[in-house]
Amino acid sequence: MTLPVDSDFDVPVDLDAETDAERSARFERDALAHLDQLYGAALRMTRNPADAEDLVQETFVKAFASFKQFTPGTNLKAWLYRILTNTYINSYRKKQRQPQLSGGDTIEDWQLARAEAHTSDGLRSAEMDALDRMPDSVVTDAMAALAPDFRLAVYLADVEGFSYKEIAEIMGTPIGTVMSRLNRGRNQLRALLADYAREHGLGKRAGDE
Amino acid sequence: MSEDRECLNAIQRLYEFLDHELDEADADAIRAHLDACEPCFDAFGVEEALRAIVKRSCAAKAPDTLRMRVVTHISSTVIYTQGDQPV
Repeated sequence: MTLPVDSDFDVPVDLDAETDAERSARFERDALAHLDQLYGAALRMTRNPADAEDLVQETFVKAFASFKQFTPGTNLKAWLYRILTNTYINSYRKKQRQPQLSGGDTIEDWQLARAEAHTSDGLRSAEMDALDRMPDSVVTDAMAALAPDFRLAVYLADVEGFSYKEIAEIMGTPIGTVMSRLNRGRNQLRALLADYAREHGLGKRAGDE
Repeated sequence: MSEDRECLNAIQRLYEFLDHELDEADADAIRAHLDACEPCFDAFGVEEALRAIVKRSCAAKAPDTLRMRVVTHISSTVIYTQGDQPV
């Protein structure tokens, strides 16, 4: 009887004996498996497909060049995201000048409002049905309106499901900073989506006025 | 804790709870509150549903041309590093 093998973790790699061809095969098998996810993140970061492709290409070139230093069995996905993030900050962020929400506290009272009135000021369950049917572009436009650090933190948590600790490592910041970016970014994103729901009259039921 | 305080506490820790970042004791306290408070239970449900929408909306597939560019780079680099004379 053979047990199922998780190829990422259970195959021991003898780094000293590994040939270049074997290493590139391992890179292609393990790292390229994350291509779609990294492209999705790059698309959110750069907000345009051409830059996203270049950013991901550059990320994989760098990752491949230092793949010998990567310890097999540790968190490959987080390692790739860290390279992506550093590459973005160093090469792309400076040239991107698009309007976005300030990093200020303008929507800080979102959570308090939600606490005071529970969901009555936010998104009610009834509105969720409508939001469920809204085009993806409404969410991606709202994401694009967030400040870059907030947007990345929200993407890493909500889309990729990374832990606070992993996000801290990827973004090179303390966990407290991650939590603050996540709180503000999520509050802003949810407030934008709530605005959309209200503006489009979603969730209005007969008798409401 | 008064009822209002309990609700405020639950809502303030909503993200951490759903992110599985609370320790067991704190998470249990939230669960107990959600069992007893329908509006808070509703708010947590809405947040969970929103996350699913955000995740779904941000899903992307890398273009085939990008995959080919990366694969081509990897294979050409191997030829370069293994050959005695770079071409």
